[in-house]
Amino acid sequence: MRVLVVEDERKTAWFVRKALQAEGFAVDACPNGDDALAALQSTPFDAVVLDIMLPGRDGLSVLRQLRERKNSVPVLLLSARGEVGERVEGLNAGADDYLPKPFELAELIARVRALTRRGGENKSTVLRVADLTLDTLTRKAQRGASEIELTVREYRLLEFLMRSAGRLCGRMMILEKVWDYGFDPGTNLVDVYVRRLREKIDAHFETKLLHTVRGSGYVLKETP
Amino acid sequence: MTIRRRLTLWYAGILIASLLVIGLGTYQEISEQLRHSHRREPAAHALDETGELIFQVGLPAVLLGLLGGWWLTRRALAPVARLTAAVEKIQECNLREPLSRTGNGDELDRLTEVFNAMAVRLDGSFNRIREFTLHASHELKTPLTVLRGETETALRDESLSPAERERCASMLDELRRLTQIVDGLTLLAKADAGQIALQWETVRLDELVSDNFADAQILAETHDIKVALARCEEVSVRGDRHRLRQLLLNLADNAIKYNQPQGRVTMNLRRADGFAEFAIANTGAGIPPEILPRVFDRFFRGDSAHGNTIDGCGLGLSIAQWIVSAHAGTIRITSEPAKLTTVAVQIPVCAPQGTPA
Repeated sequence: MRVLVVEDERKTAWFVRKALQAEGFAVDACPNGDDALAALQSTPFDAVVLDIMLPGRDGLSVLRQLRERKNSVPVLLLSARGEVGERVEGLNAGADDYLPKPFELAELIARVRALTRRGGENKSTVLRVADLTLDTLTRKAQRGASEIELTVREYRLLEFLMRSAGRLCGRMMILEKVWDYGFDPGTNLVDVYVRRLREKIDAHFETKLLHTVRGSGYVLKETP
Repeated sequence: MTIRRRLTLWYAGILIASLLVIGLGTYQEISEQLRHSHRREPAAHALDETGELIFQVGLPAVLLGLLGGWWLTRRALAPVARLTAAVEKIQECNLREPLSRTGNGDELDRLTEVFNAMAVRLDGSFNRIREFTLHASHELKTPLTVLRGETETALRDESLSPAERERCASMLDELRRLTQIVDGLTLLAKADAGQIALQWETVRLDELVSDNFADAQILAETHDIKVALARCEEVSVRGDRHRLRQLLLNLADNAIKYNQPQGRVTMNLRRADGFAEFAIANTGAGIPPEILPRVFDRFFRGDSAHGNTIDGCGLGLSIAQWIVSAHAGTIRITSEPAKLTTVAVQIPVCAPQGTPA
């Protein structure tokens, strides 16, 4: 998997690159829009992390140019402005995802992962992690032999975590996918819901499945 | 006492005094002349007549003078009254609209000109503050992104000792808080500069409220607080779904955070008279009346002892107030200390054909 990081801020580019490399991606970086377009013309990438505010040609213009050339590489936009309106503008211009600065690295990695896996997502109707199963048709959850009662929101949270099983899910990403919040509400809503869900799926079982990654988010997997 | 009344009284006083002087003078002059003549009988009669004349002419003259004086000062001071009314309407948002001038170049016209020039200078100062806040919050974002990234990168290092890991994670928590403050500040600075475009659509407010009620119940559980939805009438408003959800969650979160254990939170949504009215009441310690008007101020926290134990960025109610006013609504807060604190929001309901109100 090869990712292009287009970011003019040197330090940000450095740690994004480092983090993606640590996750096994091959990473190229360039500091401006024109270089990015040239790189995208000559090399096939699996995803692009594109900052909106760039010197010279800005990120949105790069994106529009890219789509005009019928290049459909998945693009994650980064922006220091972080407004709902800008997000809509970015998605309309052909971006696949949008992340406001300052972001959490875990969040960025999770999103790049999701982009590169697009289409390859677990689409089966019965999701399974260890002895926990979730039937997305009947909306029934089961751990071992015992059935688990879930509220609508808990169900959506569990479905999201199970579809991304083994991968770290950041708070912002959970808020966006489960609550459809395009902003950080500044509450510990996610943590409280995860705690409740954990009580339901983990409390009476030896093997814990839902793990907290301090400072980053949550992950559903069999081994800690 | 108004200038008009004071001037009229002075004027009346002077009028009476001058009449007295004239009257006394005339009286003395006549009596002097009479003493030198030798006819006695008609003399007394003439004196009486003079006194009567002075009284008959003087009284209406004084009255007329009073009325005239009142009318004159009123006429002279009318532009001042108009100017006062116009200046009274000046708010931070309409500083750029100049007061209308008469153009006749008198003292009051000159005063209006000075007022206008002052408003322009004030507007400039407000703009500079807004721009400063906006730039500051933008400038803070890059170093914050780097700081968060570096700290997270450090946290990923497997060789970190548990103590070091804990320190890094704690730093990350504070960075998250700082991010929230910067985000809130950016939002408000942009709102002030009119740079936020809302995504208008017809929104079923009752659906958002019952959704919010479910989240509030979960949030309240850990604090041992009961949340009730007393009434939730079907009502649609024209608005931005995301912002309205942000508003409701913000108010619910506050009602829970500033409550006490075993407290209650009651939500109420009703349709009234062209408005959707959402009220949320909590049984917290309440807000003393003297600080009640300031709770919507940015970074305002009641007593510091309280503020330290409750996290949050100190911008929640300011943001709530902005969201409500962007929807052409009103937000009020009332509090009976140690009993009930209620935040009531009114938003105009949707026009029947879905046209913006």
